[in-house]
Amino acid sequence: MVMACRVMNKRRHMGLQQLSSFAETGRTFLGPVKSSKFITDEECHESVLVSSTVRLLESLEMTSATGQLLNEAVQAQNDTYRTGATTLLFLAGAWSSAVEECLHLGVPIAIIVSVMSEALNSCSEEVVSLQVPVHNIFDHMGSTKAISELETVSVSLCPFLQDPSGASSVQEEHDHRDGVPQLTTYNLSRRPVKSPKFFQPDAKIEAGENTSQTLKNSLHTDTFRKSIFIHSRHFNRTDNNQGIHKPDRFQEQRGATTFQTYRCDDLAELAVGLSHGDHSSMKLVEEAVRLQYQNACMQQGNCGVPFVFDISRLFTCTLPGLPETFSCVCPGYIMLVSISCAALIKELQNQPIRVVLIEGDLTESYRHLGFNKSTNIKTVLDSVKLQEDSSEELWANHVLQLLIQFNVNLILVKGNVSEHLTEKCMHSKRLVVGSVNGHVIQAFAEATGAVQVAYITQVNEDCVGNGISVAFWRKPLDVVDRNNRIPVLLKTERINLITAVLASPVSAQMQTKEDRFWTCAYRIYHALKEEKVFLGGSAVEFLCLSHLQILAEQPLQKGDRACLGWLRDTSSWLASSLAIYRPTVLKCLANGWYKYLSVLLYNTASYSSELEASTFIQHHLQNAIGSGSPSSYILKEYSKLASGIFNSSISNKLEQFPRVYDVVTPKIEAWRRALDLVLLVLQTDSEIITGLGHVQINSQKLEGFLFL
Amino acid sequence: MLSRLEAKKPSLCYSEPLTTEKVRATLSVLKGILTSCYGPSGRLKQLHNGMGGAVCTTSQSAVLLRNLSVTHPILKILTTSVQNHVSCFSDCGLFTAILCCNLIENVQKTDLTVTTTIKLNTHLLNFCTNYLRSEVCGCRIPVDFSNTPILLCLVRSILTSKPACMLTRKEIDHISVLILRAFLLTIPENTEDPIILGKSIIVPLKGQRVTDSTVLPGVLIEVSEVQLMKILLVRKSSPLKVVLFSTSLSGDFSDPGEGNVVVSDGVFLENAVLDQLINLGRQLVSDRVELVLCQKVIHPSLKQFLTTHQVIAIDRVGVMLMEPLSKVTGAQPIGSLGSISPGSYGSVKDWCSAKFGCKHFFHLIPNEATVSSLLLCNRSDTAWDELKLTCQTALHVLQLIIKEPWVLLGGGCTETHLAAYIRHKTYEEPGSILQDDGCTQAELQLIAEAFCSALESLAGSLEHDGGEILIDMKYGHFWSIQAGPSSVVNWTDLLSRCGCGVYSSQEELGWSFLRSTCHPFVPQTCLPHESWEVSPQSAHSLTLDCLTAKLSGLQVAVETANLILDLAYVIEDKS
Repeated sequence: MVMACRVMNKRRHMGLQQLSSFAETGRTFLGPVKSSKFITDEECHESVLVSSTVRLLESLEMTSATGQLLNEAVQAQNDTYRTGATTLLFLAGAWSSAVEECLHLGVPIAIIVSVMSEALNSCSEEVVSLQVPVHNIFDHMGSTKAISELETVSVSLCPFLQDPSGASSVQEEHDHRDGVPQLTTYNLSRRPVKSPKFFQPDAKIEAGENTSQTLKNSLHTDTFRKSIFIHSRHFNRTDNNQGIHKPDRFQEQRGATTFQTYRCDDLAELAVGLSHGDHSSMKLVEEAVRLQYQNACMQQGNCGVPFVFDISRLFTCTLPGLPETFSCVCPGYIMLVSISCAALIKELQNQPIRVVLIEGDLTESYRHLGFNKSTNIKTVLDSVKLQEDSSEELWANHVLQLLIQFNVNLILVKGNVSEHLTEKCMHSKRLVVGSVNGHVIQAFAEATGAVQVAYITQVNEDCVGNGISVAFWRKPLDVVDRNNRIPVLLKTERINLITAVLASPVSAQMQTKEDRFWTCAYRIYHALKEEKVFLGGSAVEFLCLSHLQILAEQPLQKGDRACLGWLRDTSSWLASSLAIYRPTVLKCLANGWYKYLSVLLYNTASYSSELEASTFIQHHLQNAIGSGSPSSYILKEYSKLASGIFNSSISNKLEQFPRVYDVVTPKIEAWRRALDLVLLVLQTDSEIITGLGHVQINSQKLEGFLFL
Repeated sequence: MLSRLEAKKPSLCYSEPLTTEKVRATLSVLKGILTSCYGPSGRLKQLHNGMGGAVCTTSQSAVLLRNLSVTHPILKILTTSVQNHVSCFSDCGLFTAILCCNLIENVQKTDLTVTTTIKLNTHLLNFCTNYLRSEVCGCRIPVDFSNTPILLCLVRSILTSKPACMLTRKEIDHISVLILRAFLLTIPENTEDPIILGKSIIVPLKGQRVTDSTVLPGVLIEVSEVQLMKILLVRKSSPLKVVLFSTSLSGDFSDPGEGNVVVSDGVFLENAVLDQLINLGRQLVSDRVELVLCQKVIHPSLKQFLTTHQVIAIDRVGVMLMEPLSKVTGAQPIGSLGSISPGSYGSVKDWCSAKFGCKHFFHLIPNEATVSSLLLCNRSDTAWDELKLTCQTALHVLQLIIKEPWVLLGGGCTETHLAAYIRHKTYEEPGSILQDDGCTQAELQLIAEAFCSALESLAGSLEHDGGEILIDMKYGHFWSIQAGPSSVVNWTDLLSRCGCGVYSSQEELGWSFLRSTCHPFVPQTCLPHESWEVSPQSAHSLTLDCLTAKLSGLQVAVETANLILDLAYVIEDKS
């Protein structure tokens, strides 16, 4: 007997309960103000500081099947997008409670699955109206100050606090730039437009005169900070009704409205909007993007090819224990080498050197992947010739000879390096660096013309790269990290590598800092890649909440089959009784968003209690639903809403409040993954334990198990 | 050599295994697990080893039975025959298993002798098979390959019945179209007899959105970025001469077996093998080969040699791609390092590089071949695994449709219709079932009742949320309705469509509860032609099943039930 089976939901659904309790652990990570957690291992008394969901789940041991599925979902989200893990975790929790509520109210499982799944689809379509196009970001680049190659940008870092003043300065800069005459296309007219009724025919007339583009552009800037849509109640009512029956047309209409309302065409603005309170990390990312852009421009002469931010050419170099003033972004690759190499680097400085790139290890015993070493081959000595050197010594000498022959002074190795060889090379003024990232090696291969090889014996003249320069990153011995290593900068003329140096006096925070940097980098990466962002500051979540509330109150139209999901194709009674249960399920799903928003608001510390935060949401929710079109309401009230959610202290300076943005696909995918996980667990009714696992199930827990 | 002798334990023998309480209990647990998985609203099962291994969430018989380690011989017979059926037909595994359990259960309740039961079961099986294959059958639809809506309905029905794939409505539509397209790409253009179908390769791309999935003609080989950069340096020409190696070119020595190989100093075996490899490379270059594909590893030095001679070298292709690659290129896989006969070379029209998600691919574009690649995405691992298996099932079912171009109505309708038809025949024309072998009409009625109620409760297993099942008195189709004290009068308003979607609710149908005793009636045979006219615009679509798979399922279920019922003794070797 090697298999046990446990029925999971006799009265309450165990899996859903587990999900909501797991999700509770990540509650404080939601929002821009994150509280860190200490995780202590009681057995070995080690502790780690975590401040992100991914790190939290990495440190927790979740042995239950549901826990593992949750971990898997978070990892998958993180691997694909590097952002959205906390949203996923929180919503998974909130929605498992919502689903439990539905079960409690007697809603059949198939209906919960179908309605929730389609409702989330509907939300994803609805929030398209809050998308802000990100276009021509790099058109403004020319006017920004050029950063010379060696100049590095330092910023002060206050990672756990927002910096509203810094943000508004960016805003001012933008205002200033708007006034500059050379950007005339964005400034032709500043006349306010009162309502879309007036606007649309207007635009049609102008379109014939070839100036509609400029008009539109002018409108974009005009409505940059404050929305000037003053919809009449009446107009919106009809608009709304129309839209819900014909979702496609509605979408189109509202999409069009948005495009004319908001747009983002400035990198600084985008960066501030996507920083979510972490301006210091974002500043570094922004500089990295600028550097890469300038690099690309220089290499291509003119920027004929549209610039694409290549995140695989961005690296971090962490300096734990050093003051934050060292944090900066530099072109080239910065790596840490042992302080004993200092003299060697000094000698190699100020001259172009030749490089060899090794794909594998650089040791005598290394063989390429897939090579099976035979163990039963013995070598016999023919003569009584005494072997003086070991085989490693022979090998090292041979390698050295090759390096001398090709005049190579730098060897970058992806794998490990024989210490003996490193030392030998150092004596002959050659630097060997091991454990170099594959992307770095690839970048050097492209920039120097070197070809990566698996064995040093493969090296011929064509494989050697030229023109690398080695330098101390700072004055020698100025910067030495805890492990007695110094940062060294590698560069060539055509290299497009950018390294962000991250320093933190508190070593325990190093990991957090690096994670945050990457989160920011990936947000910018996704925004630039997708050429769109969401209006952030929870505007999308708020729209989902109001949208679901409206859907719940609407009677299901006969023949309206769009929201039936797979039930559409079945003739099951579930399809016909859907109308009865639908409002309940939609409200439960909406409750998930409600919980999300109130925790977010509470976490930003602008509200003393979740109740207070909840009142704020309730107030706006009623207004939004009352207005007939929540998306227009959000666009109109955006600054107030965002300030309520982000920082109420500066609400008197609404005009200057910078906009907050969110990435589009990663966010929607996080929602979808969270719901998928919940629905997967919901539909699971038993756990089947295979193999010998059940031997460990002790006898008092045997109750509820069935054996085959 | 020291050997230990242990006295052989006596074998254990017990009679009439089915009558023991323990066996019945285990059988009912197994049936419970399988029944709860059945259909589009079936419940899922989490399979894991309880020690932190991977968690698999599924409702498919193939995965469940593979992982359930049953010990009792009776259960083993059952699971093995279902697994055999699934390995041949991919679909209808749960149908087979549940029907078999139902039959065993129902037949046991009758007091007939095993011989009579088995005889009658076989008659009923033959009767069903003949009916389902006959022209008058009221629950099958012919498949015309020019009619894609029917094929799409079939694929969609398969996808819908696997809820662990976690697909939304839109995603189901997207994947159905892709599966159909992938399948159509495997059909050769010139239809010589016999038609040899190509192959659809499913390429995994986990973590992406389902709607990012796509189908490409030809073969996609995943390569690393570094490898791709090296490939891109090679001049492009077309068509390319291709060689395909199934042997490793990594430069290691073939296993010398036991014992030691003694080599004198100064002889380097590795270098000797490498020299041989380079010689091989020289021959390839002089034969003007432009693309070298290797199932296993190519020695870096050989790769470097080939690349410098403008030959693309791709290694670690994997055994799964070997057959399709051979098909696409016409090259014979080479298994040794000896000289290569010119006949083993193949050719390919063109290649290009592609990037999906974060993976890089080398895309081989064939001249005219029947191999396609289905790049399949899903968000989570467990949902991807389930989706992959489902796609394979769908592709297999489509192949079966070519051989026997018929589909059965799904959604429980075929089962209820068949049961109604058998009941009718047993009462009206028992002679048509009963052959002249000594069974009485009363015996037939008993067994037919057991058989029909096994079919009906199988259809009833589609319901998991406490609804009621009705059957109409005209076609004998399956209708579902919410449980509760609803008055019988307004059923027409409460019902919309039958399980398969062919009929909509009309007054004259007349319904009765499935498990109630109703008078046998004549279910209308010969499906009207207009009912299978599925237009893409129509609001509903049909739920369909593959005829071949279902017939085999029926046969396996009845025969396995007979086999299990026939078991008189179990003899267990305890030592």
